[in-house]
Amino acid sequence: MSLVAALRTGRAVHTTSATLASSAGVIVHSRGYAAAVKPAKKVSSKFKANSGREDKEKQGPRDAGAYHPMPVNSLSDPVFQTENITSLQLPTFRPEAITPSAVAKPMAFPQGESKALKAYGLPRNILVDHLLLTKPCSVIRESTVDLLDQLDKASGSSSKDTRVVLTGKTGCGKSYLLLQAVQYSIQKEWISLYIPRAINLVNSSSSYAYDARTQTYGQPAFAQQLLKRFVDVNEAHVRSLATQAAYTFDDGREFSSGAQVMDLINLGLENQNQAPTVLTALLDELAKQTTYPVLLAIDDFQALYCMSQYRDPFFKSIKAYHLTFPRTLLEFASGKKSFARGAVLGALSTQNTTFRVPLELVESLGLVPSVPTNPYVRREAELLEYAKGLKNFPVPERLSIDEAASLFDLWHQTKALHIPRGDEIFLAKYTESGGNAREFVKKGILQTVTV
Amino acid sequence: MNIAKKAAGGALRFRAYATAAYVPPASMENVQRGRLPPPKPKPESPTFYTGRATYYDQLLALENASKQTRSALQQLQLLPLSRFAQQNLPPLHPVWKSQVDLAELMEAKLTTSRYRRFVSQLNQLNQYRRLAEVAGHLALAERLQRVLDMFERENKEAILARGKAKPTKFDEFGRTYTVGRRKESTARVWVIRTQLSPEEQAAASSSTTPAEPPQVQTSESPAPPPAQTVEDPIVHSAPAVGIPGFESGPLSIGPTQVKVHTTNILINNIPFTDYFPNVADRERIVRPFRVAGLIGAFNVFALVRGGGSTGQSGALTLGIAKGIAAHAPEVEPLLRKGFTSLKL
Repeated sequence: MSLVAALRTGRAVHTTSATLASSAGVIVHSRGYAAAVKPAKKVSSKFKANSGREDKEKQGPRDAGAYHPMPVNSLSDPVFQTENITSLQLPTFRPEAITPSAVAKPMAFPQGESKALKAYGLPRNILVDHLLLTKPCSVIRESTVDLLDQLDKASGSSSKDTRVVLTGKTGCGKSYLLLQAVQYSIQKEWISLYIPRAINLVNSSSSYAYDARTQTYGQPAFAQQLLKRFVDVNEAHVRSLATQAAYTFDDGREFSSGAQVMDLINLGLENQNQAPTVLTALLDELAKQTTYPVLLAIDDFQALYCMSQYRDPFFKSIKAYHLTFPRTLLEFASGKKSFARGAVLGALSTQNTTFRVPLELVESLGLVPSVPTNPYVRREAELLEYAKGLKNFPVPERLSIDEAASLFDLWHQTKALHIPRGDEIFLAKYTESGGNAREFVKKGILQTVTV
Repeated sequence: MNIAKKAAGGALRFRAYATAAYVPPASMENVQRGRLPPPKPKPESPTFYTGRATYYDQLLALENASKQTRSALQQLQLLPLSRFAQQNLPPLHPVWKSQVDLAELMEAKLTTSRYRRFVSQLNQLNQYRRLAEVAGHLALAERLQRVLDMFERENKEAILARGKAKPTKFDEFGRTYTVGRRKESTARVWVIRTQLSPEEQAAASSSTTPAEPPQVQTSESPAPPPAQTVEDPIVHSAPAVGIPGFESGPLSIGPTQVKVHTTNILINNIPFTDYFPNVADRERIVRPFRVAGLIGAFNVFALVRGGGSTGQSGALTLGIAKGIAAHAPEVEPLLRKGFTSLKL
C-alpha cells in the first residue's frame, strides 16, 4: 500500500520492504514514499470520428418556411386574378349631364377622340390623382354647375366681361374646377387655351430671348410647344379660321389678311425663333374672330403677377410682365385685350411658396391679406393695372357631405385602399379633414394609419 | 384618646362657667355672630363637581343612549350579530366634529383622551344606528341620527365628496365646460349638441309616416332629359326611397333625405384642421367621438395653451371625452375603456 493511500485510509503503513521481505524473504532497500507506479487503466475512447458516417443526410440552406414561394395553384385571392381587373365604371363628363341633379356625382373625363387633357397636360397634383385612380375623373360640385353656368352666359359676350379668378383655401378644389371648365369648353366646341402650370412660364425652366421689336423676352421653346398642343386640341376649329390682319416676321415671311390661321401656326411650329411672335399673333386673331368663343384658362394664375426667376444681362430679375407670353396673358386677363366671344379663367395656387399671391392681386380680388398691410406698402402701378376688373369666384372650402361621400366611394372603387369602406370611418375622416378636399383624400384616405 | 377627650369635654361643661373669662353682657351686644353662609344652589347635575359638567353630561347621556339602544336591539334580536351579517353591513362614514369644535361645544378644554373616549361612544352609537337602519327600524334609526347629528360637522357632505369627481354642470345653453391636461398643456373645452332642424326633431320624437318623400321624388324626376336615361344608368339610378315594407321610422325615408350632421371643432377660434396640420393630432382629437359613436352629435369650442402639438391635442382629447361623457353618461364606460390601452 502506498504512503498516500495509507494516509488516506488512515491505516498503518507497512513498508514495502517489510511486506516483501516477509512474503518472499528478500530484503529490498526502498523508501516508504517511493511506491511503484501503477500502469494506467486502458479505457476505450468514446470519441466518434465523423469520417465513419457517410450516409448522414446533407441539409440544404436553413429552411425558414415563411419564405417558400407559394405554388401558383394556391393563389386563389382575387388580388392575384389579373384577368379579372375591372376598370372604374363612371358616367362620362358631358355638358348635358352637368345639371343640379348631377351634383356630388363622379364623372370620368372622356378619352379617345379628344386628346385635350393629354395634350395640354395637367397640374401635378391632379396628374398624380389620375394615375392613382387609373382614370381621369372628378366629382361634380355645386360650384361646378355655377361656374359652367357663367361660362354659358359668357359664350356670347366679350371676354372683358368675364374675367374670373377661382380663389379659396388651399386644397379646396380650384384646379379641379378649372379643369372641369376646360373640359366643358372643349366639349361645347369652344376654342380652348389651357395653361396648367403657369409657374413654368416664370421659373426660368425654358429658354428665353430678348425681342427688340416688342422689347420683351420671348420664350421660343415654350411657345412652340404650346402651339403644338393648341393645334392638337383645336385643329378642327382653327382650320376654318382666316386671319383678319396682316403679319410680317423677322425671317421675311408675310401673311396678308385672309390667310389661313393654320399656316400662321405652322410657321411657329417649324421655326422656334418665330414661335413667340406667332403665338401673340394667334391670340390676336382669336380675339378678333367671332365664330367660336375662346376660353383662356390659366392655373397658378398668381405666378403671372410675381417676379420671374429669369435674369437680364445685368443680372437683375425680370418682371413677369416683361416676358412676351405672360404679358399677353396679363393683357387678356386685365381686359386691355379681349376675345370678341369668350372668357378668361384663372385659378390661384398655394402650393409653391416662391410664387405667392401678391398684394395687388389680393386687393383686386377682395381677399384677406396674409400679412397685415397699410396704405404705405408699395403697390406696383403696372400690376394694379393688370389686376383691374378681375372677378373673384370663391370656391367653398368644405366639400358637402354628399360630395365627400362620392369622393370616398370613388377612391374605394379602385380597390387599392387599406381602410375599410364604411360610414363611420367616412365621417371620421371627413371630420378630421374639416371637409377640405385635398386633406380628405391625401391625409384622410391615403396617409391615415389609425383605422 | 377619645376617652380622654370625652372626659375632658365633660369636665369643661362642668367647669366652663368657673374657668371661662368673665365677659360682661353689655360688651357682647356688638359682637357679630357668624352668619350662616348663603344657601348654595344645588347643582343641576352631579357632574358639576367634576369641573367639566357639560362634557360628562353629554358623555353619560351617550352612554345611556347606548345602553338603551343595546337592550332594544337585543330585544329585537339584532344583537349579537352573526359574523356574516357583520361583514356585510354597509360602510360607515362618520365625520365627527374636531377636538377644537367639541371643546367649544363643551365650553371647556378637551383633552385628547377625553375626546377619544367621546368619539368612541359616538362610533358605538353610530354602529347601532346603522344596524337599526339596515334592519328596517327607521324610527329608532332616525332618533339616533338626530342625536348623532349634534356632533357631526356641518360640512360633512363636502368632506365626504372630496376626491370624488364632481358632476359636470350644464349652462343655460346646454354647454358643458370641462378641462383636460396633458404634459404642459391645458385645454378648456365647451361641448354643445348640434342643433336639429324642427323637422328632424319632429321625426326623432314621433314615428308618424312622413308625407314628404313622394313629393320630393316627383320634383326630381323631370330634371334629367330623356336622352340620357338609356346611356347612363349609373347617374340616374332609382330615386332614393324608403324600404317598401316600412311605413315609419328611419327606414321609411330615403337615404338622401337624411341630413348628416357634422362635428365642427374650433380651437382658439381657429378651425381645428388649421390648428393641427398633423394627421396624428387630428386623429387623436376625433377619437373620443369615434369610440362613443357620436360623430356629428356635438360641436366643440376649446381654448388651449401651453406645451406643443402633442400635449395640446392630448389635453383636448381628454377635455372632449369628459364633455361627451357629461352629455351622454351611457357612453362613459366606453370612453374609459377606450383610452386605457392607447398612449395619449
